[in-house]
Amino acid sequence: MADDVRARTDAELHDLLHRRQDLARPAPADLSALAARASTRASVQRAVDSLDLAHLQVLEAASAAPQPVTAEALAALLGATTEQVAPTVDDLWALALLWRSPEGLRVVRTVGEVLVHPAGLGPSASDLAGRPTAPDDVATLVDQAPAAARAILDRLTWGPPVAVLPAGTPERVATGARWLLEHHLVASVGTEQLVLPREVALALRGGRSHAEPALSAPAPTGDTREPGAVDAAAGQQVTDLLSLVDELAAEWGLRPPRVLRSGGLAVRDLKRLGSVLDVDQVRAAFVAELTYTAGLVADDGSLEPSWAPTPAYDEWQQQPGDQRWAALARAWLLTTRAPHVVGTTPPGATGTVNALGPDAHWPPARGLRRDVLDLLASVPTGLAPRADEVVASLRWHRPRRVPGSVDAVVAAVLREAEWLGVTGRGALSSAGRALLEGRDESSLAAAMHPHLPTPVEHVLLQADLTAIAPGPLAGGLATFMRLVADVESRGGATVYRFTPDSVRRCLDAGWSVDQVLGALGDASHTPIPQPLDYLVRDVARRHGQARVGAMRAYIRCDDETTLGAMLAERELSPLQLRSVAPTVLVSPVAAETVLDFLRENGFAPAAETPDGGIVVPQAGRHRTPLQRRSAPVTATGVDDELVTTLVGALRAGEEAAQYHRDQLASRPGPSLPSTDPTTTLAVLRDAAADRQPVWIGYSDADGHVQRLLFQPERVEGGRVHGTVDGTARTLSIHRVTGAAAG
Amino acid sequence: MPDGPLIVQSDKTLLLEVDHPSAEEARRAIAPFAELERAPEHIHTYRVTPLGLWNARAAGHDAEQVVNALITHSRYAVPHALLVDVADTMDRYGRLTLEKDPEHGLLLRTTDRPVLEEVLRHKKIKPLVGDRLDQDRVLVHPSERGHLKQELLKIGWPAEDEAGYVDGEAHRIDLDNADWSLRPYQQQAVDGFWHGGSGVVVLPCGAGKTLVGAGAMAQAKATTLILVTNTVSARQWRDELLKRTSLTEDEIGEYSGARKEIRPVTIATYQVLTTRRKGVYTHLDLLDARDWGLVVYDEVHLLPAPIFRMTADLQARRRLGLTATLVREDGREADVFSLIGPKRYDAPWKDIEAQGYIAPADCVEVRVTLPDTERLAYATAEPEDRYRLASCSPVKIPVVEKIVARHRGEPTLVIGQYLDQLDELAQRLGADVITGETPVAQRQKLFQAFRVGEIDLLVVSKVANFSIDLPEASVAIQVSGTFGSRQEEAQRLGRVLRPKGDGRTAHFYTVVSRDTVDAEFAAHRQRFLAEQGYAYRIVDADDLPTATA
Repeated sequence: MADDVRARTDAELHDLLHRRQDLARPAPADLSALAARASTRASVQRAVDSLDLAHLQVLEAASAAPQPVTAEALAALLGATTEQVAPTVDDLWALALLWRSPEGLRVVRTVGEVLVHPAGLGPSASDLAGRPTAPDDVATLVDQAPAAARAILDRLTWGPPVAVLPAGTPERVATGARWLLEHHLVASVGTEQLVLPREVALALRGGRSHAEPALSAPAPTGDTREPGAVDAAAGQQVTDLLSLVDELAAEWGLRPPRVLRSGGLAVRDLKRLGSVLDVDQVRAAFVAELTYTAGLVADDGSLEPSWAPTPAYDEWQQQPGDQRWAALARAWLLTTRAPHVVGTTPPGATGTVNALGPDAHWPPARGLRRDVLDLLASVPTGLAPRADEVVASLRWHRPRRVPGSVDAVVAAVLREAEWLGVTGRGALSSAGRALLEGRDESSLAAAMHPHLPTPVEHVLLQADLTAIAPGPLAGGLATFMRLVADVESRGGATVYRFTPDSVRRCLDAGWSVDQVLGALGDASHTPIPQPLDYLVRDVARRHGQARVGAMRAYIRCDDETTLGAMLAERELSPLQLRSVAPTVLVSPVAAETVLDFLRENGFAPAAETPDGGIVVPQAGRHRTPLQRRSAPVTATGVDDELVTTLVGALRAGEEAAQYHRDQLASRPGPSLPSTDPTTTLAVLRDAAADRQPVWIGYSDADGHVQRLLFQPERVEGGRVHGTVDGTARTLSIHRVTGAAAG
Repeated sequence: MPDGPLIVQSDKTLLLEVDHPSAEEARRAIAPFAELERAPEHIHTYRVTPLGLWNARAAGHDAEQVVNALITHSRYAVPHALLVDVADTMDRYGRLTLEKDPEHGLLLRTTDRPVLEEVLRHKKIKPLVGDRLDQDRVLVHPSERGHLKQELLKIGWPAEDEAGYVDGEAHRIDLDNADWSLRPYQQQAVDGFWHGGSGVVVLPCGAGKTLVGAGAMAQAKATTLILVTNTVSARQWRDELLKRTSLTEDEIGEYSGARKEIRPVTIATYQVLTTRRKGVYTHLDLLDARDWGLVVYDEVHLLPAPIFRMTADLQARRRLGLTATLVREDGREADVFSLIGPKRYDAPWKDIEAQGYIAPADCVEVRVTLPDTERLAYATAEPEDRYRLASCSPVKIPVVEKIVARHRGEPTLVIGQYLDQLDELAQRLGADVITGETPVAQRQKLFQAFRVGEIDLLVVSKVANFSIDLPEASVAIQVSGTFGSRQEEAQRLGRVLRPKGDGRTAHFYTVVSRDTVDAEFAAHRQRFLAEQGYAYRIVDADDLPTATA
């Protein structure tokens, strides 16, 4: 192998390093090191995984064939011509998965570890320590095989070559298996497994390695679309998408949904988004994920975090539609997030995946997305391949890389590409092609530009309180219209409806009635319909009629002159007095301070309680709350009576103690010091071996320590078995407080 | 990019820019399959629904025409999904056909076997069909013709009814064309209906639906059963038929609560047909009393549910539905489609108005401000009393007087809901009151006086307002009454929209109390009227003299 690598030309090495990039990092010291690295399991695994089906089948055939291999032999195995196989064989050599030994082409040994059962073929009979069966014999034997044996062979022929016969296999099957073993058609591995030797399998397969050789890529088919129609459809989708993003931002700017503790958007909020945007939840999740990916919305990072548009959104929003699209499309192409998993339950998980959450992050998404799009780019312009054929093609190109969920992923990518205008009616749009070519931002935008409707700068106002923008609105006007009216219908045009609520919303946002009417008048070629004018004025008439604010003190006085004097008094200016009615002043300063200031300046205010009563003045009589006094501590002396009693008690106590000592001393056996468990164990073991009784202290269930003369018999598992007074007892060692030989 | 007048929205609405040079062409192209929803001044909104598409199919349009109309007139690219949906939906119509076979009788035939398999497996359809003749045909019990069509529509496979009709008992009816003739659109409506066999003609109030009925009868030349909403309407039909056709009084019978006559042309009310005694519809025999050749349904959008059930059994007879709108508040548009038939003719109000057949109307909402005491009473009132308080405010009376004075000499109606309010108004205005309690004779006497111009002012309750025909009313003033439904409003407006001899502008006033629920109902009315394309203004009561000068 090393010699082979050393013999390669610079161009061939360049090609190898380019196609197996892991070999170049870190840079190998010399060609021998390169050869060694190329045959490590990790590197080979990577190389094999990236093969397409044609290369994989040839490599499998090569692994299964006797070494060294020739293109002719492989062609025979694959049922193809040598011309068909030879380029692939050369390519596998270029990838250093095959190498040229002096005898001929060999498969790199590690490939065998990666492809355990190449083409579903078991190990060769020689590896199984059996004798190889000649192909002719196989045919004869198979003819004679009982039905059960045939059934087993049929299952094993095209792989996997291993069968498990667990205990309890039906007798009929077990008989078949025994017959096969006796005739060396299968070998047994371990006690329960049967394996079909490679030679037998090949004989059964008629000398072929693969049932369905697929040496050329399947060409996806589908309807062909007019390129103009494709781009027009793409443009229409982009118009829709941009307005959806704007509506999402408008909604979340107004009512930001909270960020779940686990990150992500609550299912309820996604539902609400769906109903606000008037799209299904799959699409709502896509729009949310896309804006997130493009950095247009984010977690606002506050104490109670919520999702809100970012400053980047405001910048983005001011750009022309084509550039806005370019930013979204590029973000989508590169993201490793997978919007389509939102709402699904991944295997093994308990809950569904939340939009914007960590679970929607799925790195393989990017590669698969790119693969699907590359495939779309590879078919003739205007062809809209069917989804199942895209899947088939993807499986051919990446047989070992496609995940089980590839159908769902492909469907999602095709769907999302359509929503993004990367495809139109299923075929790659010209702007989509520009995206895949990795053009820069401005030329990408230019590719979409002709297909987007020209922004309009006017709306049509109607007497039924609707406004219709007959095309996408330019940035500022769109924001204003969304503020002052509700979106009712979307598409090429946008229908807005004015309601008292929507107009009030606009006034709340700080617009004055004249500004609103002025902006509407500027936006419309026709005069504002009278009912609309009336609506705006009517809402404005009531808007702000009642005002709410917070202050810390008020001054009320029936005499307006007094209040006027207060307002005019220069000394009171720190109170920042303001008149809210002829008889009421307010101040942001605390009530006590206001009182003091007023008194100092010759006024005679009275304080008022919250319910309007007068606070009774208590000047000069400041008191603490009622205090509880404790009784004084007094000491009494010691008198004779006490002393006598005390001495009597002491005497009685001493006698009781002596009695207790005598009691203890009169008990049989030695005194029992507390011994540590190791010592206890040793004592008990010795006693058991010598068949001698021991005195032990044993703490019973109530915590009393009993004193026992114990005859231990054996010690095991933390317990000691033995007898006490002829009764068998089993005691736990940890409860024995001490032991002493009896 | 084509610069068409039409914008196709993703929610299947079509926006038509009326000022666009090719707007009329686009309107004609989309009218067969899209329902006009709103028709304000600049942009008309049409909606594409499955029923609309099937109506178009029934009228002989195919999906290609529809898609083509959308693409040709659309300003922007049409959402592909919508086009696919249109094609799919239209494709569902006509896969199943009801046919009459000389040998087997009524049968259901399919051009698509899986569809037949699907519907035959449906548990509601199974009992309605008989034996399977072959893979494509299955027998249908003749009595289930209507039910089957209803159920098939429900599951989205509407059947085309080509089983034909019985001719019925022949009876000569001619139009008395001496001094008048059918207007062109009425003739088109008659032709459209006759060609289609059965179905609905949609014409605005005052556009002469009765004459379309008469035209259809003249075409059928057979005994006819006419079903109308109430007795007054029945008498109008009778008068109109006597005037416009060769029918004589002896040939026209009235079948109502008062009279039970069965004649070659019989006019019956919905009410009498739906009367039940001990749970049994006692007047059902009428439907089989003669071998009717034509059944006419007036005001199809008000057709009560029991009539639908009866109609299901009348599928072998020609049926003509007349209405101002296909929209039903109860959402039973599908039953109209399957039991009476697809839409055969439709003309938007504005178009007919533009042709000069309906008086143009000026709609004014007059807002009065409640005095402070009433505002306080309103604020503290129970929610259920609020509407009455707001709408019966005495401050409305001088306003009404002012409006009446302004239109002195023009036939004027004052319409309200609450009797006390109406009585008081009548007293102040010196006019007669007609309510639901007014005897029919008195009612007709007053109407007649109003009609001939003896009196020019009437105060009518909402109840009375429903059925009357006042051809010369040119001013209507509504003082109270909720915005009940779109049809109710259409009807009310219809009162003042009848053709006027001198082409004067009709006026429709609504007097509303500001900042109350009354104004909320008015907002619905405003939206409806503006959507119908009527000029709508809101004025404050104080500004009234200058505003209406």
